[in-house]
Amino acid sequence: MNFELDAAQSVWRDEVRAFLRENVTPELLAEVGEHRTTLLGGEVAAFRKKIGAKGWFGLNWPAEFGGMGLGPIYQHILMDEFEYWGVQGPDLTVTSVAPMIMRHGTQQNREQFLPPIARGEVRYAVGYSEPNAGTDLASLKTRAELDGEEWVINGSKIWNSQAHVATHEWLCVRTDPEAPKHRGISVIIVPIDTPGVEVRPLITWADYRTNETFFTDVRVPRTNLIGQLNEGWQYITGALSLERGALTNAGDFRRHVDELKELVRLPLEDGTRPVDNAEVRRAIAQLDADVEAAVLMGLEAASLLEIGEMPTITVTVAKVFTSELRQRIADVGTRIFGLAGALSTADPAAPAAGRYEKLYRNAPLMRFGAGTNEVLRDVIAQRGYTMPRLGR
Amino acid sequence: MDLTHSAEQLELGAVARSLFTRECPTSLVRRLREPGSDGLAPTLWQALASAGIFGIPFEEKYGGAGAGQYELGLVFEQAGRALCPTIVYSTMVFGLGVARLGGDQLKSRYLPDLVEGRLRASHATWNPSNAADLRPRLSALRVADGWLLSGRLLFVQNAQAVDVLMVTARTSVHREPQRTYGFLIQPGGAGWLARALMTIAHDQQSEVVLSDYFVADDAVLTGPDGTGLAEGDLAWLANSAIALQCMEMVGGTAAVIEQTVAYTKVREQFGRPIGSFQAVQHLVADMRIALDAARLTATQAAWWTGRGEIANRAVAIAKMKCNEAYKWATLNCHQLQGGMGYVLDTDLHLWSSRAKLTELQGGTTDTAALWLERESGLI
Ligand SMILES: Cc1cc2nc3c(=O)[nH]c(=O)nc-3n(C[C@H](O)[C@H](O)[C@H](O)COP(=O)(O)OP(=O)(O)OC[C@H]3O[C@@H](n4cnc5c(N)ncnc54)[C@H](O)[C@@H]3O)c2cc1C
Repeated sequence: MNFELDAAQSVWRDEVRAFLRENVTPELLAEVGEHRTTLLGGEVAAFRKKIGAKGWFGLNWPAEFGGMGLGPIYQHILMDEFEYWGVQGPDLTVTSVAPMIMRHGTQQNREQFLPPIARGEVRYAVGYSEPNAGTDLASLKTRAELDGEEWVINGSKIWNSQAHVATHEWLCVRTDPEAPKHRGISVIIVPIDTPGVEVRPLITWADYRTNETFFTDVRVPRTNLIGQLNEGWQYITGALSLERGALTNAGDFRRHVDELKELVRLPLEDGTRPVDNAEVRRAIAQLDADVEAAVLMGLEAASLLEIGEMPTITVTVAKVFTSELRQRIADVGTRIFGLAGALSTADPAAPAAGRYEKLYRNAPLMRFGAGTNEVLRDVIAQRGYTMPRLGR
Repeated sequence: MDLTHSAEQLELGAVARSLFTRECPTSLVRRLREPGSDGLAPTLWQALASAGIFGIPFEEKYGGAGAGQYELGLVFEQAGRALCPTIVYSTMVFGLGVARLGGDQLKSRYLPDLVEGRLRASHATWNPSNAADLRPRLSALRVADGWLLSGRLLFVQNAQAVDVLMVTARTSVHREPQRTYGFLIQPGGAGWLARALMTIAHDQQSEVVLSDYFVADDAVLTGPDGTGLAEGDLAWLANSAIALQCMEMVGGTAAVIEQTVAYTKVREQFGRPIGSFQAVQHLVADMRIALDAARLTATQAAWWTGRGEIANRAVAIAKMKCNEAYKWATLNCHQLQGGMGYVLDTDLHLWSSRAKLTELQGGTTDTAALWLERESGLI
């Protein structure tokens, strides 16, 4: 047990911090905040290039694939710092898609798909959910049928985030409709510009754009199938997604609490300061304590991975806890400034430039997305304590 | 003691409900949120006037029905279900203010028009973040035939769309004590500056800056004996407004729960309606428990303020319960509706935004708890 970073880890954290201090500019943050941007402009692209130059897109890739092969604690430190600064670091393409190709892909898959990812030339949208396959993902119906040397794909995906800016689709499809539902699923890579792919916008309450994507007789080469036929469910729900879960931590939460501590000292419209109210101080202290617990959950998951254990329960506990904590942070952040807390990002007088009003609209997603909390609570009880299951 | 409604009260609620269902669809709510909207809803307005809604609490001699302020609360509850535009609320609260604070001359000038639907109005007589704070934000300087008002008002509802606005100001007259007077002012003109505020609910709120804005003597509320408005009357008005807003919040809470329950009955995952999962039912049950607490405390507050009482305790409790019930109902409904309830194309967010706004408007739960602590002698 050791609650301190060791010397090498501190050096690493300082390096990441120095990079962010230098490169996270107000212009970049402004562009990041503009979720509706259909094509990301210069700032984000330039920032991504700098991350690429550091080699950090391959932070979790083994050295044999040209990655840095960083251990979980190091990855955790990097992700945590990026979140603290409010910018996206290595995205799903490099932390999730690429490792799945490395672990489960054929030799040809690896040679074909990994180098462009390493070079930062491609970006993947993750196409799992469908209108009737949300929490019950395994009931997905988008169909892929082999026709000679090509897959022919028909169906649709919903909540297909990034599809409007992505080059490729990491697509979950049904390849055997006769098999039990978890056994007939495969993963196929589809270039977004393939004829028959149509991306339509869906705008969320948080102004964030996601998409509905339609596939009509879309043809891709047979070799775009990842790994083995009908093994897709194992790939997308396996160890990797757990490892990735362990990387999601509470860096942005720490930032919010630090920021709130400063903001409450400033006088409000009527001359009073929120910090002079005991209940405001208490609310922030509560958040502070909860964020500490969330940070430790993330570090425990990373530590378990470091010693070769799968942190199933830790990650599940952390997901439920952090998603609900996010909602509480947003709630506190919108209510300690009086009615001014209702001012949105569009109003120049909004406290904290409307960040908490925005967070309030953002927060519901994490509670039902990526495994809804109701099901995850079942998981904690049933797998954490082997309690009997009612069956779903 | 009887916590059930009379046949007439039930009938009024049913009439109001069908009126709002018909005349205040979410397409209207969405239109009024658009940038540049004036927040007016002429067709709905006309329907409310024809149905006699505007006259409910006012005396018959001013054209009202004399039916009682509590009955107005029943209408607000139905209005809250339908996300009725706030100009209806601000107009009615203005009317209650004139009826309580005004003399016969001002009542005759404003109430008959209001009852007939010819007057739109609003008010700024308490701190919008804390309804128990009645200190005027404006100063009034005595000049010939009237007063010059100066100062800054935040979060004035519908300031830029109404015919008349009730404000309070501190007078300063040489050798006289400072007094709180009420002023009925017409938006616009010399000395008036307004800026629209952008809120989470896209409602019509403004920051208003007055600089030497002239008000003639005949539009001034000087209190019973000319020595200023009684603090108790202003407190009653603020509490009445909060109690009515709580009724609105109760209606909103009930609406989102019902819509979401309906959704969980038809949305299937794992081969069964998601509403059949125990975890879902428990969330629904918790929302219902919070709704009942909100509904009972809100109706109690509306009833006592409707009887002319200041009812600090009842109002504080209602605000505490309604804030949390409405907010968490909308957030838990997002949880149950998943992605489908989270896009702008579907309607849930309209209530979620309103819930957050009304939570903060007049006083957060912490603020209302302070009212209760003070009332209980704890502080
Ligand atoms: C903005 C946004 C971005 C997204 N991005 C992506 C993406 O890039 N790629 C992708 O594939 N998906 C994405 N998603 C999809 C997201 O993961 C799904 O919304 C999520 O899986 C929930 O599915 P659903 O919305 O269909 O809700 P439903 O499955 O209909 O569930 C709704 C609610 O029902 C209840 N429920 C359901 N099943 C059970 C059960 N067994 N027990 C108890 N309660 C239950 C829960 O309360 C749940 O929250 C995104 C969604 C959004 C809104």
